[in-house]
Order: sequence, then C-alpha cells, then structure tokens
Amino acid sequence: MATSTINLSTPEVSVREIRLGSITGFHGNASELVECSQCGKIKDKKRSFSQCLGCSTAQAACVTCLIQDAAVISHGPVGCSTCLHEYAFTYRVNADLRGVSNPTQRKVYSTNLEEKDTIYGGAVKLENTIREVYQRAKPNVIFVLTTCAAGIIGDDVESVTNRLEQELNIPIVAIFCEGFRSKIWTTGFDAGYHGIARKLIKPAEKKRNVINVVNFWGSDIFNEWFKRFGYEANYLTPYSTLDSLQHSSEAVCTVQACATLGSYLASSLDQVYGVPELKNSPPYGIAQTDRWFRELGSILHKEDEVEEFLKEQREKYLPKIEELREKLRGKTAYVTAGASHGHSLLAILRELGMEATGAAIFHHDPIYDSHTTDADTLSHTVSDYGDIKNYTVCNKQEFELVNVLNRIRPDILFARHGGMTLWGAKFGIPSLLIGDEHFGMGYEGLVNYGEQILATIENDEFVKNLEKHAINPYTKWWLEQEPYTFLKGGKN
Amino acid sequence: MAKELRQIAIYGKGGIGKSTTTQNLTAGLAESGKKVMVVGCDPKADSTRLLLGGLAQRTVLDTLREEGEDIDLDSILKEGFKGTLCVESGGPEPGVGCAGRGIITSIGLLERLGAYTDDLDYVFYDVLGDVVCGGFAMPIREGKAKEIYIVASGEMMALYAANNISKGIARYARQGGVRLGGIICNSRKVDREYEVVKAFAEELGTQLIHFVPRDNVVQRAEIRKKTVIDFDPEAAQAEEYRTLARNIENNTNFVIPKPLTQERLEEILMEYGVIDI
Repeated sequence: MATSTINLSTPEVSVREIRLGSITGFHGNASELVECSQCGKIKDKKRSFSQCLGCSTAQAACVTCLIQDAAVISHGPVGCSTCLHEYAFTYRVNADLRGVSNPTQRKVYSTNLEEKDTIYGGAVKLENTIREVYQRAKPNVIFVLTTCAAGIIGDDVESVTNRLEQELNIPIVAIFCEGFRSKIWTTGFDAGYHGIARKLIKPAEKKRNVINVVNFWGSDIFNEWFKRFGYEANYLTPYSTLDSLQHSSEAVCTVQACATLGSYLASSLDQVYGVPELKNSPPYGIAQTDRWFRELGSILHKEDEVEEFLKEQREKYLPKIEELREKLRGKTAYVTAGASHGHSLLAILRELGMEATGAAIFHHDPIYDSHTTDADTLSHTVSDYGDIKNYTVCNKQEFELVNVLNRIRPDILFARHGGMTLWGAKFGIPSLLIGDEHFGMGYEGLVNYGEQILATIENDEFVKNLEKHAINPYTKWWLEQEPYTFLKGGKN
Repeated sequence: MAKELRQIAIYGKGGIGKSTTTQNLTAGLAESGKKVMVVGCDPKADSTRLLLGGLAQRTVLDTLREEGEDIDLDSILKEGFKGTLCVESGGPEPGVGCAGRGIITSIGLLERLGAYTDDLDYVFYDVLGDVVCGGFAMPIREGKAKEIYIVASGEMMALYAANNISKGIARYARQGGVRLGGIICNSRKVDREYEVVKAFAEELGTQLIHFVPRDNVVQRAEIRKKTVIDFDPEAAQAEEYRTLARNIENNTNFVIPKPLTQERLEEILMEYGVIDI
C-alpha cells in the first residue's frame, strides 16, 4: 500500500510537486501522459519563456473566503490580496443556487505589511489585525493566509494564531500558501484544506445521513440525487459554516466535483477522520456517471436502488442525448481548463459525438491523494472515448493557446476560466464558458451541455464579426512558430 | 573642486574585531584632519560606541519605526571623536524580522536624507560578520562602497571566512566597481601569523595592508568607551592604528580577489604550521 500523503502534524502542507509529483509542462498524446503517470515515470518539461502564473494564495482564499461565518486575513503586503475581492462577487451571485437568501458581505482583510514591518517582523501587526478583525467582523473562525514577504522574513504565524486562539476563544487557522513554495497553483487548495483538516474538523461522535461534497459553487444537484437514497449533501467548503466543517467527519462518505480540487480534503477526511472517500472521478459522461453512482451505491449499501436510478435516468435522457449527438457529430472542440475538470469536459464533448482536437490543461497530477487510478479522470476519458492528440499541460500559457487555436481552428472552444474565451472569439471561434461545474454532471448534464454547445455554435455571428475587428497582441512571427517552441527537455 | 568621497566597507568573521578596528582606524583618519562618517550595519548597533563614548544615539530603523519617513537627520547622525559622524542602522531583535532588509532600507534612507555631504572624505560601513543574505551585501552593491578591507587573523576560521567574503566581492566586482583593498590582520598571536596572513592575502591577489599586533590597551580603552588614540594617544598601539589609517589613505592597490579553493586554503595553513599534521 502506498504511504499516506496526508500529514496533519506539520503546519505547512507538502506541495504537490513533492506529494503527488505534479507537473506543468507536457505536450503529446493524452494516452502517453496517462501511461507515464501510472508507471511513475512522469518528468516535467521546462519553459524557457513563460507568461505569468497564478499564485497559491488565490486558491487558499477560494476555499476559505466563501465559508459563511469566516473572516480571512492576508498576512502580507496589500497587493497580495488584490484578487480576493472576486470571492465577494462569487459569493453573492451564486448564493441563490445554495439557498443562501441573504449573502453577507465577505470579510477579507490584509495586514498591509510595509517595508518597516519586513525589517522588524510582522507578528505584532498580525496580532493587532486579528483582534481588530475579531471586533469588527465577529466571525466564528479566522483564517490567516501567508504571503511570500511573511515567509521570507520568517514570521512565526502559527505561534501568533495559536496564542490569539486562546485569547479570543475562536479557531484561528494559519494557512501557509506562499506563492514561491509551489508552481502548481492548486497547492493553494491543499494549503487551505490542510488548515481546515488540522484545526477545525473534529472527530465524529456519531454518524449522520449526510454526504460531504467537496466542490466550488455549482448548482445544488447533489441534494436532488442524494434525497432519493435518504441522504443530504454537506457542501464543502464554499457556503459551509464553521459548524458544518467541524462536523463533516459525521458524514457517511465524501464525494468531489473535481479531483484536483477535492483530493486533499477528501483524503484527509478518509485517512484521518474515517469518512470513506468516493474515489471514482466525478460523474461526467455516461460511463463515468455509471461508475460513480455504482461506487456510491456500494458505499451506501444501496446497489439496487442505484441501478434503478440509473435505469430511470437512461430512459429519461438517452433519447434526448441521442438527438443531440446527431446534431453535434463530427464537430470539433478544443478545451482549456484546469485538471481534472478539463478531463471531464473532454468526456462530455466526446460523449456527445464531438471530436476533441486538443486540450490545454493547467497542470497534471499523476495521482491523487487517494492513491488509486480509479480517481484518474484523464485515464477514464482516454479509455472511454479514445486518445486525445495535442494534449498540453500548460499552466495558463496564453501565448501557446493562441498559437494552437490559430492552427487548429476548432468549431468551438471550451474554456473553464474567465478571460480565456476571448482568445477563441478573436479568431471567430464560438467559445463557451460555463461557470457552474455541476451543470454537466450526470445524464441530465449531457443534455444541458449539448444544448448550450449547439446554441453557441449556431449563434456565431458576434464572434465572426469580432474576428474582423479584433487586434491580436501576438505577432505574425509568433503565430508562425511551433506553439511549443519554448517547451524544452524533460522526456516524459 | 569637490573632494573624492571614498566609501569603504569593512567585512570579516564575527568577533574578529571589525568594529574595534574600524573605529580605531577612523579615529586615526579624523586625527589627521579627515572628515569621516561611520555607518554601523549591525542590528546590535554597537559599531560607533568607542567614537561616541557610549551607545548614545537612536538607530535609523528605530527612528523610522517610531516617527515615520519624515526624519530629522540630526536625530540619527551624532558627532563623535574629532568630528567623526556616527550613525547606526540598527535592526530587529534577534529571531524576528529581517535585519538584511533593514540595512537596505537604512542606507536608502540615509541617502534620501542627504547624509552624504560634499565635505566628507570617507564613509565606512561596518558590516555584520557573516554576509548571510543580500541585505548584508548592500554596502557593496549599487555602487556604494567601492573599497573593501577584510579583517582577519591567522586563525583558520577567520581565513576561511575571509575567503568566503572574497567570493561575494568577486561576484559584485564583475558587475560593479567594488574592489578589495587588502587584508587587515588583527593579531590573535597564533604561530607565524604575519607570514600566513601575508601569504593568504597574496594568494588572493591582494596585500596585507597592516598587521595590527595584539595589545591589552585596546581592551582597557574599550572598557572606557574610547578608541586607543583617544584613551592613550602616546601608546604604541595608537601608532599602529595611525599607520593603518595612513596605509589606507595612501592605498592604490585595488583588485578583484581570486578566492582560493578549500584545498589550497588548507595547504597554505599547513605550510605555515597552523594545522598540525
């Protein structure tokens, strides 16, 4: 058995490069990457030119700022928290999907470390900030996100949070997400979950009929599904509360909307708190939906009910799915998204009869913390629907994406992150961004997505016009170069 | 015509006597009519004690912290023995913050406040012994100190540290104008000390600029918060420091050092009997 990658005894999470062997540079066939990942021979390529990358702090903020009764302090120069206000927007606009009728203002602060604080240390400033935030925001829990500046000068953040926890009598959690620690942006998720698993989750005293769902802020499809089997969804961590986090150990199992998002928390709950992890990749595409529900049935000991459910789903949705396949067959699509949701999008579009002409996925985890290939979303999409050529791991290198799109010119671009669709649109390629991750799940998800894809491809007048007027920042020279000119070495 | 300001950084192993040597030699320069400023770059803020007759002034960083950027130069720049100007960078308590960043901030602030006046002949930077990070290399970066003297003794670890510091100097010398002016031997009375330090200096491509013998008068003066020149101007040791000051004043031998390999350094030490085999 593989050794556990979860170690809650240290304040800092082990970064993905070390824990999982994750990489950010690859170009080839998806099957090659799957094979190398599964035999433990994956090696990163290097970019001799790179555009800017994301910082772990944003992901740590993602899993903390949206907790209903939390306050978050970024301990660093004020610039490190520039992007955190986006979670206030996210919280407000998605609140309805989760039945949060009165979305409260997000409580996000910065210690605003200045030059003199880096000399004398920021500990006193952090202490005062925590007290001030406690007074002003009256949160039930405070998270302190570290930054590079605090990390370099060696501020002892853990001691401060421990001390203030005693003083204020609420949990105060230090989260170590310094950007320089990892070039895998999703390490920030792990950093957040590490703090939550270490300091907030309590050992279960009883079990309840709830299922943890590690997710972002998608629509409430899980309650609809689980109700039928007599269970309720406990969504982690957006829209959760301190109380629901603390008692997440009482759930009968944990499922995930995205394996790269949920890996660390689901495995912590499994390995440390005894909550079984549903290890299969999330339910996108028919084959994976069936596998996922069958594993759920086996964990809940409701195999027959699950079969009955799947039968109903097939009867209800297959005719519609077949109709959509007729219309979409042979259409080409390119995907740009994070792992593993990008792998799921590749499953959806091919389930609908489309052809994947390539993908730019922001990083690759050869394995997740559950240490099983059942969780390998890329391997599922390859074995269920065939290989994918032009598969790139590219930590959001837009210059490569633009070059590739110009060559491939797919019928549609699927993007998962804001700001990426415009690169398709500038070339007149209809582009689709769906923020709700749960929109494409299950049988009904295929219908949802299929209809959106059709609508997007059919309504291409805007992008065709845009193409005529758009100015591309990349030069003709670059568009004529091989897209992976700057990706070197590291034989996978 | 404006005088050419010589900015000099003094480095060396911790405890080797950098501050003592710097203050005694600047006392010698001041006595001969030179206008000297000493910038202490050690968080302990004890680099100007002998010139000022005690730890009197507030450090740049404490003042910055308490009063903000709008600082009166007079509040941090104190006049000591024979008109020497003394300033201490200061820094955080041991174990917190970043002393290296403190030196960067402090020197930047001194420049902005106009501490480097035209009438100065010399600025000396007395830097913490181990150049542990970029901040402690600040005085030799960005065209500040152009001359460096390393204080060493014949002891193995002192020479080892001096060799390491030379590596740092060589790095910055390639991109800027900084040069090594020589090794100052602050004697610890080890065997054949003069010969070994001289040989080491020559191997580095520089010179032994002066051999300062060991003398208890230094200790007696220090206890009274004075330099030797101030405490006992007639002492033989006072004359040694005057000689060192003169040698620096007249020095024209500035080089990019050629650091030794560890093996070569040990060979020299063996050759002069410092390591018994």
